[in-house]
Amino acid sequence: MNTHLLEKAQRLREAVRHFVSNEMPAELRTKSHRHQVLGRQDYLQWMQLLDRKGWAVGHWPAEHGGQQWSSLERFVFEDELARLGCPWIIPFGVKYVGPVIYSFGSEQQKLRFLPGIVKSEEFWAQGYSEPGAGSDLAGLRTRAVRNGDHYVVNGQKVWTTYAQWADWLFCLVRTDTEGKPQSGISFLLIDMRSPGVTVKPIRTMDGYEHVNEVWLEDVVVPVENLVGEEGAGWTYAKFLLKNERTAGAIVGQAWHVLARLKQHAKETRINGQLLIEQPLMRNRVGEFELRFLALETASYAAVLAMDEGRDDGGEASLIKIRGTELYQDVSETLVDALGEAGMVFDIAALHATPGLPPLGPEDGGGILKEHLYNRANTIFGGSSEVQRNILAKVVLGL
Amino acid sequence: MTTDLETIGMLRSSLERYVEDNYGFLQRQALLNSENSFSSRVWSDLAEFGFLSLRLPVEHDGLDGDAAAVGALMEVIGQRLLQEPFLVSAVLATSLVARLGNAEQRERLFGSLASGSMILACALEHAEHCLLEDNRLSGRVPLLMHGDLAQGLLVAGHDAQGKVRVCLVQADQPRVERSALRLVDGRGAAVATFDNVEVELLDTPNNGLSVAANIELLLDEANVALCAEACGMIEALLHTTNEYLKVRKQFGKPLAVNQALQHRMADLYLLKQEALALTRAAEQALSGPAAERARLVSGARSYISKAARQVANEAVQLHGGLGITEELDVSHYFRRVMLLNTLFGGRDQHFLRFVEHSLSA
Repeated sequence: MNTHLLEKAQRLREAVRHFVSNEMPAELRTKSHRHQVLGRQDYLQWMQLLDRKGWAVGHWPAEHGGQQWSSLERFVFEDELARLGCPWIIPFGVKYVGPVIYSFGSEQQKLRFLPGIVKSEEFWAQGYSEPGAGSDLAGLRTRAVRNGDHYVVNGQKVWTTYAQWADWLFCLVRTDTEGKPQSGISFLLIDMRSPGVTVKPIRTMDGYEHVNEVWLEDVVVPVENLVGEEGAGWTYAKFLLKNERTAGAIVGQAWHVLARLKQHAKETRINGQLLIEQPLMRNRVGEFELRFLALETASYAAVLAMDEGRDDGGEASLIKIRGTELYQDVSETLVDALGEAGMVFDIAALHATPGLPPLGPEDGGGILKEHLYNRANTIFGGSSEVQRNILAKVVLGL
Repeated sequence: MTTDLETIGMLRSSLERYVEDNYGFLQRQALLNSENSFSSRVWSDLAEFGFLSLRLPVEHDGLDGDAAAVGALMEVIGQRLLQEPFLVSAVLATSLVARLGNAEQRERLFGSLASGSMILACALEHAEHCLLEDNRLSGRVPLLMHGDLAQGLLVAGHDAQGKVRVCLVQADQPRVERSALRLVDGRGAAVATFDNVEVELLDTPNNGLSVAANIELLLDEANVALCAEACGMIEALLHTTNEYLKVRKQFGKPLAVNQALQHRMADLYLLKQEALALTRAAEQALSGPAAERARLVSGARSYISKAARQVANEAVQLHGGLGITEELDVSHYFRRVMLLNTLFGGRDQHFLRFVEHSLSA
């Protein structure tokens, strides 16, 4: 094992803990502790705080303002923030499009877009999925037709997270309908204020609007907003996914919800007995602990393998499948353990009394909200089914 | 009392026809946004069709319907996610009045229960937190389903000797404090506090059982009704997921051709068949010996709660992003299924009761 790498990552973990307990603004801390829904300003404030520490793009190369973190450091950073229940790191700029631009973009694009991404001054959204192209992303049909010095884009994107706040959309479009589905795809940067862009919110069962449909009707996009080469978009899309593989937050979230379950079980009495002392609950928590141990151990082994070039292509799938499924199962048990408080979910009341639920602990409403939305964790970013296909095909060669 | 199959079939098909015309998904969505998530029109329609008289004795123009009759309607209620207080008011409260009320009380309450002009909510699981002395009630009930719109509350409490009693509380009075809430599936509820409230006792058991034994029986009936409701939800979710897999295409072919998904659907089908059979068995056990009743009711309830969860989780997953949206019915079933583990005892309690009765049998 690479002890130097491990020590460096451990120092980063301690710095993150120190930052969260000493430098996080009280209001943001309260909101995120209660898992309240956060607004655009909350996220921007959070990303700018991280930027001041040099962490927003810590994983970027030094020449673009990063710290050249190893995969392990990047993983630890996200893991620790999620363990401490911090806001989500909105990935669309710093994790997704930024690296595509500095790797494949023109000098002009780097100058124009990278500073706004590093400083979180511009909000990005991801135009990937379409109604007919979810797991089968290469089936996308949004068309971009070249007309002199611009493209005219027509189509519809869906599940576009926070498109309602976005200044820019990085978008996979079809510039050629011949040949293999993957070959005619291009990577365009679309100004969300362009005429013809319409955002329609999709309400999810947690009662909020995190995702959207984005309609593109005769949207004019200057040719200089094409990233890299026309028709090479699929390569960049795969690069983006590869670059996104180190999802430490998945492990951290599972840890966080399990810690919350243990806390609840240790302070709640039912019929005079602590929940944690009740055999069924104790067994359940024990099984979760065991699954977490396996997840944590295997995830860190996987990330070290990446840093040392020993990875086999299944690492990200392991983390995603095991982490998201554990999170969902623990969350289900936590909601049940809340008893009556776990049955009440009142969006209007949550809005009216800054996030406080009508019954139960002050984070009860947030626990329910997260529980309802986390069913998406096994669907987005490559569903559990797609991850298992990757393991079967890429790793096992079946 | 055994309701004949023909009557049960008629009840089921008339409710099915009614909800087909009056309780479509969009109609239900509108209802969810109304106050108390309740439509007085639907409620009075249910009364007019006779559904609210299902549990009334024959001499009060009721059907004296048995558990299978209740189950048939609950299955339809689960299939269409009816929000109305059928189970709480027309089944549980009505049965309690029939078994514990004296002649005058029965005469007075049955009419307005059957016509739907009065809704009663029930708080039967918190007797230890409610004190009943000299016809006065003090205590707190943490969550009363439909307690937000009920005119009367049937509350179990204990007297100074620790004996369990049941009383009727008029809900709209100064010493009854109710705060209205919404359950995760959109149905209304309330937290209720009673401060030395004058109440009326229902204290004339006429079926040979004590008040406490009557409460236990009624909770068993409630749990079996929930099993039937869960069966309805499982059936609806399986049907819609099956259809979706056939029409949704990815990678140039319907999702349904993937053998891995076929096997998952086959497993869900097994759960559905087991759930239906367990529900029937529990319905029959309700009129049998107490120990066997407890074993079958709690066994069915434990198995079905878990099965319904698995079906709901899989239905969401197999619908992809659509599955978590407000505009697709799948997410509404998912939310209602969430409540199953906590209502009327919860899964762990039933599982332990099942184990205890199984091992001592």
